[in-house]
Amino acid sequence: MHLTWGPWTGKHPGSRVPIDIRALNPFWHEVMADTLPAGLRVRELTKCYGPVMAVRDLSFDVAAGEIFGLLGPNGAGKTTTLECILGLRCPDAGTITIGGIDAVLDHEQAMESVGAQLQAEMLQDRTTPRQALALAASFYRNPASIDNLLRGFALMAKADARFASLSGGQKRRLFLALALINNPQLVVLDEPTAGLDPQSRRELHQMITGMRSAGRSILVSTHNLEEAHQLCDRIGILNEGQIVALARPGELIAGASHHPRIVVRTAKPLTAAQIRLLPGVVNCQPRAEGWVLETTDVNRTVVELVKRLEAEENTLLELQIHRPSLEDVFIELTGRDWSTPAVEDMG
Amino acid sequence: MSAARMLPGLLRHFFFTLGLNLRNPQALVYGYLVPVFFLLAFGSVFRSDTPLLLHQMGQLLTISILGGACFGLPTALVAERERGVWRRYRLLPVPTGSLIANTLAVRLVLVALAALLQIVLARVIYGTPLPMHPAQAGLAFLFVAGAFLGLGLLIAALADDVPAVQALGQCLFLPMIMIGGVGVPLAVLPVWAQRIAGFMPGRYAVEVLQRSFSNPDGLRGTGFSLIALVVIGGAAACIGVKRFRWDIRENASQFPRAWITLALLSWVAVGLAALLTGRLKPVLAERAPYETITEAQIESITYDDLPGDGEFVTPLAPPFKDSGDRAPVDELAAKLRTWAPGQLDDPGQSIRNLVCVAAVADVIRDPREGKVARAVYDHLRANFSQDQLRRAFAWIVLYPEDGEVLNNLPELGLRRHPPPVTVRSRSALYARKFLGRLLHKITD
Repeated sequence: MHLTWGPWTGKHPGSRVPIDIRALNPFWHEVMADTLPAGLRVRELTKCYGPVMAVRDLSFDVAAGEIFGLLGPNGAGKTTTLECILGLRCPDAGTITIGGIDAVLDHEQAMESVGAQLQAEMLQDRTTPRQALALAASFYRNPASIDNLLRGFALMAKADARFASLSGGQKRRLFLALALINNPQLVVLDEPTAGLDPQSRRELHQMITGMRSAGRSILVSTHNLEEAHQLCDRIGILNEGQIVALARPGELIAGASHHPRIVVRTAKPLTAAQIRLLPGVVNCQPRAEGWVLETTDVNRTVVELVKRLEAEENTLLELQIHRPSLEDVFIELTGRDWSTPAVEDMG
Repeated sequence: MSAARMLPGLLRHFFFTLGLNLRNPQALVYGYLVPVFFLLAFGSVFRSDTPLLLHQMGQLLTISILGGACFGLPTALVAERERGVWRRYRLLPVPTGSLIANTLAVRLVLVALAALLQIVLARVIYGTPLPMHPAQAGLAFLFVAGAFLGLGLLIAALADDVPAVQALGQCLFLPMIMIGGVGVPLAVLPVWAQRIAGFMPGRYAVEVLQRSFSNPDGLRGTGFSLIALVVIGGAAACIGVKRFRWDIRENASQFPRAWITLALLSWVAVGLAALLTGRLKPVLAERAPYETITEAQIESITYDDLPGDGEFVTPLAPPFKDSGDRAPVDELAAKLRTWAPGQLDDPGQSIRNLVCVAAVADVIRDPREGKVARAVYDHLRANFSQDQLRRAFAWIVLYPEDGEVLNNLPELGLRRHPPPVTVRSRSALYARKFLGRLLHKITD
């Protein structure tokens, strides 16, 4: 097995250097279990809370070895979708199949191959990580090694400490370890990094990508655009209970009608006419002591800009390039701000 | 999943939950220390009993079980629900019901340990005898614990958070302690409270536990009480399981009122059944006050300063010579023969009630007052033993403020009702006159 990232490397996902984890961590092979067949299939899922339709006609698949992100602002229906998949809520319509098993009709059997980390989870204060893992392990046919999980998630030193004494990051890692205790085919993570500091978030991202490398299907819900972009192989953008777009992050951005923007500020002010003459520029707006340009060709625009400034002995004080983001995609698809909840308290 | 597949997980969950409870100081205080306080308090209050606490063990054990089941169980369940522990349990490949059953089993063990601690401490500190029928005591414990665990499960289903558990638990706990025959003995309670206790499971719990402890017949004859516990506990448990909430976001307002009504109906049904089958007769203290009167106390009573039988106060007609002489009070005498307050299970209070009839007739200056008093005296002599009458008359003379006093007797044709205090003082005078005659110290 040749895996790229894992909790043991301590490397940021940005530094994409392939590492053979077996060489570094001989215990990890148990955590990274066999590659498993396709995990999740959701078809026409609908869930209402009284008159409010939280999720409607939702359909998507999560393949083996894939991280699928459900992206949407608060209240878009992400948590409701995950809870229906996990049997925490009963769908009003639709089917959910996990590893070929109908998760609605045969909840217990389906749960045999599902691991989950829920939002705002807690354990009893006096429970230790080892006890919690041992208890969960005792219910499954093929549990992972507790010691390996503790080591893999850097919890060995805290294995016998009370849950109440763990830090936020350690608690989150414990829940991830619990999600893997049954060597699951499908891992469901609900806002896994919410409330974590940047360092802990990075570590968690590494762990999640490590799970993907083990061939698991991973379904992540998040309202963090950067996280979704960084982590997910495919993204389903959820708005008011419906998937409004479903593709790879790059494809979503490429498909957006927004153009890249260049923010430029010079020592001698440029005129609108000078800006419009630059190749690729389709629009420009004045900004305090500078301009914001929209261009169809960032390279040509920037190169030409620099040439002209040199020719005119003008000094470039600031140059920023903004590529279209998932937020732009979202605004374009829904016509509203990212931060606005779709429906109050919908979950 | 088959039971065999679930067994390792359920066993581990059982010991895990048991361990958590035994390591929780708050649970230990509520589950074990508070019952010990009750034990010591009862030991102080009933210090003159012999053997000490033998007749209070039913109450003490019921308090322990009630505390563990109606507070301990729902507090733990709701606290875990608040933390999302039950949501996580829901993700396990086992039915949630099996985990609830496991939690109930753990609580049963915890409550059993508390009960055993009570029995052992009572034995060690006060020398209280062990249960007369140990196996039946175990059976009674299972019925009582089962009923209260069912109620605990219902509280857990109803309560949104831990403070709500405390509030709901107190709604059950305090009435049962105060007027349900659990904290305050039934015999000490007024009759209305004893009747209300018949609608509460605490009364039946105390009865079955106490009988297995100190009654030679054990649980024989307690079928109704056992069924009452099954009905009340079973209804609560069924509703508690049916409406069990493993997720904090389902709040109590979603709990259909029909279920709550159904749970309360089981209490009403049990109470009505007890009432209609005559099981709610007033319970007496083990030793009625008049029985404690000694010969020396009877001998100490003097008769010198009594008003004369023909005087204004406490007139007493001479014995009836014939039916014509008795005729004015014939109707009253007939009524006395079926008059309920004169036929209580407590002869002392019955005699006091009958003496009140003479006293009321005297105070309200009934034209037949002397003959009424004579008719009462004749009725008493005909219906009570010499010993009962001696002790009861002496009790009325020596303790005029004891017991109940009747001052409103329209059913006997005495239409006005004088102040109770006057009736008590006249009753004491009549009792002295009757006692003097009974002991031949006064002649008619």
